[in-house]
Amino acid sequence: MRMDTVIMGGGLSGLTCGIALAKRGQRVTIVAGGQSTLMFNGGSMELLGNIDGQDVTNPLQAITTLPQNHPYSKIGANRIAEIADEAKQLLADAGINMAGDATANHWRITPMGIAKPAWLTLSENLRIDDLNQLPAKRVALMCIRGYFDQPNGMLAQGLRDLGFDVQAIEFTTDDITSLRRSPSEMRATSLAKHLVSNNALQRVADQINSLAGDADMVLLPSVLGQTDDNDIVTLQRLCNKPLRLVATLPPAVAGMRMQTLLRHYFKMLGGNYLTGDSAIGGNFEGDKLLNVTTAKLADMPLRANNFVLATGSFVSRGLAANYERVYEPVFDLDVDADADREKWTRFGVLEPQAYSRYGVATDDNLCCLKQGKTIGNLYAIGSILSGHDAIKMGDGTGVSMLTALAVARNILCGK
Amino acid sequence: MADSMQLCNLSENNFEQCTKCSICTTVCPVAAVTTDYPGPKQAGPDGERYRMKDPAYFDKALKLCLNCKRCEVACPSGVHIADIIQRARMKATMGHRASLRDTMLANTDLLGTVANLVAPVANAALGLKPTKLVMHSVMAIDKNRTFPAYSRQKFTTWFKRHAAKAQDAYPNHVSYFHGCYVNYNFPKLGQDLVKLMNAMGYGVHLLEKEQCCGVALIANGLYKQAMRQARVNTASIRQAVGTKGHTVLTTSSSCTFNLRDEYPAMLEIENSDIRDGISLATRFIYNLVDEEKVKLIFKQDYKRRIAYHTACHMQRMGWQLYSIELLRMIPGLDLQVLEQECCGISGTYGFKKENYERSQAIGSILFKHIENARVEAVATDCETCKWQIEMSTGLPVENPISILADALDVEATRRANSAGD
Repeated sequence: MRMDTVIMGGGLSGLTCGIALAKRGQRVTIVAGGQSTLMFNGGSMELLGNIDGQDVTNPLQAITTLPQNHPYSKIGANRIAEIADEAKQLLADAGINMAGDATANHWRITPMGIAKPAWLTLSENLRIDDLNQLPAKRVALMCIRGYFDQPNGMLAQGLRDLGFDVQAIEFTTDDITSLRRSPSEMRATSLAKHLVSNNALQRVADQINSLAGDADMVLLPSVLGQTDDNDIVTLQRLCNKPLRLVATLPPAVAGMRMQTLLRHYFKMLGGNYLTGDSAIGGNFEGDKLLNVTTAKLADMPLRANNFVLATGSFVSRGLAANYERVYEPVFDLDVDADADREKWTRFGVLEPQAYSRYGVATDDNLCCLKQGKTIGNLYAIGSILSGHDAIKMGDGTGVSMLTALAVARNILCGK
Repeated sequence: MADSMQLCNLSENNFEQCTKCSICTTVCPVAAVTTDYPGPKQAGPDGERYRMKDPAYFDKALKLCLNCKRCEVACPSGVHIADIIQRARMKATMGHRASLRDTMLANTDLLGTVANLVAPVANAALGLKPTKLVMHSVMAIDKNRTFPAYSRQKFTTWFKRHAAKAQDAYPNHVSYFHGCYVNYNFPKLGQDLVKLMNAMGYGVHLLEKEQCCGVALIANGLYKQAMRQARVNTASIRQAVGTKGHTVLTTSSSCTFNLRDEYPAMLEIENSDIRDGISLATRFIYNLVDEEKVKLIFKQDYKRRIAYHTACHMQRMGWQLYSIELLRMIPGLDLQVLEQECCGISGTYGFKKENYERSQAIGSILFKHIENARVEAVATDCETCKWQIEMSTGLPVENPISILADALDVEATRRANSAGD
């Protein structure tokens, strides 16, 4: 089967790249091995949040100070602003409404109640532009009885530490109580599937309206809107006070919705999305990749002019390690990683870890290397790239989207 | 050395790989509509740990699993979640007697043989309100269901009378596993395949012996019978693939998935030597076109707007691409590819009274998508999805092979593919 471009990996970076290419008329197939880490995303994108332990206020400016091996530096700091705008527009076109500014980080609230710098946040989520000017003084934190993917005590304390006057209020409705029959599966995603009818939402609103007291703002865990934001808008309309959602522990409804909307948009543009299949190898000729073999298509490899590797980092199995080395399991591409196993990790799971910066080696066009040789039509994007650190630098989602769009540009202009 | 150390502690369905991320539960169509079912993570890898300690931990709620395999497709860690659940069901219910209703629903070929003989009577009777009420109350087959109509003439009878003789004259050859649906309910699909393959220069042949693939037998706990039939089919396919060098084509995604993947996974029937020789017809045809071995020429005046629904087992096989790309070759066809959702029927599951409401609730998302697509027909590779979608949306549902056969300029295609001989 011949395509213009085959993308391996169907998460944020793979979909972003696929959409950008399909929009320009390319025939694109995405091979997606299982769901991606987007399912853990609470509804924010980060461009750059932290450098050497210091919070970043203006990410565009801070990006110019990054070392040469950071993916943003390879894209070129002068192109970041334009590509960041394109990313924001792409999300909006897919139906994902986010607010934020690439020159001024705002604060998102983690499920643990910690404020972290962010670039874009879903418009229904609690977002703080300035820690000295909170969007509300008294907030009612609505806690759903029996729902355990939100550590309410920690969240309330975190919000108090930020200066909010927090009242944590437990509530339930008949619909929610019925879900407790399956206690192990009372997750955000199951709540989102059951709280869809107007009646069910009205019952939630009734509880909120009667319990929220004198709060200026109501906070609810992000348990609504799995496929679009209609249910959220409905509930906001039914509540007497401004209602904002706060991110929950995964699997996250917001991330699931973003994944669904992006996939839907990609398919609408004519793209093929192969769920549950994965690339297992390919054939090279000289400095070109000719085709990719997948587990399910077996003896019928996917041929294309260009290939994009977006298989993610260790958690998504885009990178792997054994007792001897860190490697890229599909093509055995060159990786930037320490040879000495002692250096991979250090004691203390929350300490900066060397392995989180490991990834495949690329040239300045984000082309991959194999045995020191550049493969001119095989690009890498997203978390599989070396030189960045999603956890410590707060640059994961930004790198995913921006490298995806940069590579789409490279492919379209024949670089 | 390092690799072999890791492999030592892998179970047969690699449930140790489960990282408890719960993503499988978010895509489970059953957990989405009922709290009676604990969801795939709990029913699969979590429960398996308990069941390994003591089989008494088996939870009866596992019978609510549709075996749609969407959990496996979504799993980021490659755990065979549905296989774990189905194997657990199998172990727990092995030796139990299946109810009359389940036996009847599962024996699609036996039911078909009888019904064919009296097709007009059977069709009329199955459609009558009193029959439906008796089936509903006595047999626990839901009264809202309509049984697929039975054909007066079996596909195999038609084939032997009207097609078999001409097949040897073609330069290339394939075998065809037609399945129960084509044979008893809808011979036209088999006839469409013969028409299509013949136009491309391929003779079509039946297997030496074909029995029902047994997908419904497995689902209804008739494991011994499923194994017997699977052995017969595997031997026939082995003969076609090994001795004759044929590819064995199918036109049903569920039969295909069963023959290729469930035989080894559920019934422990070794088929690795012939698995690659079993192919959905759309995959086989797409590949011939892709390798420029055949040309398809379509009618100039063909014009339709159709939505493609990816059946769950089709998605599990990962082959929807072939049907979709093949349909996209038809110039006059405006194809809308639907978001993958389960239609809720899952073979015989939705026919059972106790499952009817759940089945329709599951399918409601898909039905909505179909309604929004504003199409004149739906294409899908699965016959039970077809019944469900036809009943629930009122739109006709066609197999991609029938759509291709309909859109094909048979004479022009025949000429184009015989020119080189």
